[in-house]
Amino acid sequence: MLSFLTARRTGVDDPLRLRRAESTRRVLSLELNHNRDVARIHGNGVNSLDIEVIEGRYMLSGGADGVIVIYDLENGSRKPQYTCKAMCTVGRSSRHVHKFSVETVQWYPHDTGMFISSSFDKTMKVWDTETLKPAEVFQFEGNVYCHHMSPIARKHTLIAVGTKDPKVQLCDIKSGSRIHVLQGHRGEVLSVKWSPRYEHILATASADSRVRVWDVRRASGSLFTLDQHNGDKSKAATEAVNTAHNGRVNGLCFTADGLFLLTTGTDDRMRLWNSATGENTLVNYGKVANSSRTCLRLSVSRGCSPEFVFVPCGSSVAVYSLHTGELVTMLRGHYNNVDCCEFHPDYQELYSGGKDCNILAWVPVLRQSDIEDEETATVKGGQQAAVNPAFVDAWSSDED
Amino acid sequence: MNRKRTLISDTFKVTKRRFTENTFGKPRCGEADQDGPLDMKSSLEYLMTLFPRKVFNDSLPPIVMKHQLYSLHSGKTFVDRQLNLLREQGEVMMFQLGFDADTFGLVFTADYKDKVLAGIAGTESQGTVERFLNKVVPSCTELSFNKDKMLKEFLFTDSEITLLVKCGVLTVRDAGSWWLSVPNSGKFTKYLIQGRKAVMNMVKKARYGEVLKNELEERRTTSQVKFPIKYHIYDLMGAELVESIPTTSGTLLRYVDT
Repeated sequence: MLSFLTARRTGVDDPLRLRRAESTRRVLSLELNHNRDVARIHGNGVNSLDIEVIEGRYMLSGGADGVIVIYDLENGSRKPQYTCKAMCTVGRSSRHVHKFSVETVQWYPHDTGMFISSSFDKTMKVWDTETLKPAEVFQFEGNVYCHHMSPIARKHTLIAVGTKDPKVQLCDIKSGSRIHVLQGHRGEVLSVKWSPRYEHILATASADSRVRVWDVRRASGSLFTLDQHNGDKSKAATEAVNTAHNGRVNGLCFTADGLFLLTTGTDDRMRLWNSATGENTLVNYGKVANSSRTCLRLSVSRGCSPEFVFVPCGSSVAVYSLHTGELVTMLRGHYNNVDCCEFHPDYQELYSGGKDCNILAWVPVLRQSDIEDEETATVKGGQQAAVNPAFVDAWSSDED
Repeated sequence: MNRKRTLISDTFKVTKRRFTENTFGKPRCGEADQDGPLDMKSSLEYLMTLFPRKVFNDSLPPIVMKHQLYSLHSGKTFVDRQLNLLREQGEVMMFQLGFDADTFGLVFTADYKDKVLAGIAGTESQGTVERFLNKVVPSCTELSFNKDKMLKEFLFTDSEITLLVKCGVLTVRDAGSWWLSVPNSGKFTKYLIQGRKAVMNMVKKARYGEVLKNELEERRTTSQVKFPIKYHIYDLMGAELVESIPTTSGTLLRYVDT
């Protein structure tokens, strides 16, 4: 570590190298910390989490009871022990709350004045954060499984919506129109994601085992379908030809640079694809347990080398190395199934929510100071350091 | 003081890893270690020695499952890539044996050719099968063929295709396409499934549903299990039908309830 610092200071190494090495070290040491907690508001499972892109300070969560909560992740108090408070909620008492489970929530990518939520009550609502009232409600015919708004779009303000209908709908928040439809899938669309690299590229995953990549400017169908055998028709049974998975595809995630796409399916496999050509990179992650009936939310780290994938797997979060496919560790801490996880790129923290109504914050372990050092710090009059309870003077009176 | 062993990325490690060093609690399989830890062909040869030829009266070439290699080597992607290299060189052949879509069986090409020719020696289909082996097997690395390919590329007539299916070299996949297969491999599949179930039950019935791998290797098997127990252990570990947990006394196999 010191060698990295010296190299950066003298200019031998690029500053990015130190940053990447330290980010990787922090991600590898993720664990539950008793100092960090997230307020427990949900009465039913947490389905979706989203951290805003601008400041990385506010987190949205959508629950199975239709409740939406906004948390403040920043530590305002000077103490290391901190609970992320819920700033505001759209609770069951609100007039505009979703009737059924909220499946996906997402902040408006350009500021926190707005957020969008979609739910099993067949609506998608665009909310104003200040008044917590929906500015726009889009009605659909079937359950809405997921929606996504492009994080980099400047030329369009489209939201891609995946519902029980095989057609992918594109809703425009500027004009309120929903006439643009992408046809091609034969089963319900379980997951949609815009590419973080090109603002017109959209990937959709469906229960018919296929993943399609679209350019929304193109009038005819999809650009290509992801094929797990890379065109080698001999490997699969004839029905499985040209499919991305041997079961429903329910998880999609682009890597931060947009060059690769990860998909997970109910055949217990996760695959990594080259997003430009649609080629299966054939990285073997082994068995990634997946029995989710709806969208599975995975997350990829950013700024580390090697990159890590965080996949909810049963009641723990599995961490895999992106390009080699080996299982790095399993993060255990939830009492029930984990439904969603979200990586905070600035602090290398992971937030995961599940059916046990808890949102757990996985924080990198800091380099701990020794117990002797802590004691000398308190003697010198430092009020900031948390005193180890073993050294607290609990029996002498204060009046002395 | 941090007593826990933490995961450290390679960039921070100062000392170089020596080849023979064991990662914490995960001792490498002793026999495979001697061959050199990264050689795929020698691992395959080692696994082939576990295959019992006598049970099948020497009519079958030694078959190994692809996922057994995953239990011997740590990186699955690395194993896949090495295997594809060997297949392209024409040394190893891969087959779909009728399990699920991701399970494949591996046979050395030389063994396969010997056994197939020995099986049809003297019968009328010998010429056709020889032609098939010489034309199709070296050039293509595919697992199945459809009708156009057989007729046009390889110039086999319909009756010849029927002969090949009768000999067992091709198996019907669906109308107009066939899998490449090993003749007489039905017995292999049956015994493998039987043995798999029996060994799984041994793990399941053990106390707490888990057993040390070394201890399981020592146990006597019932007459249901035709293969040596090590073959089944690699099979279960590689297919992730049991969870392998590294411990200080070796690998622990825990029953996975799915």
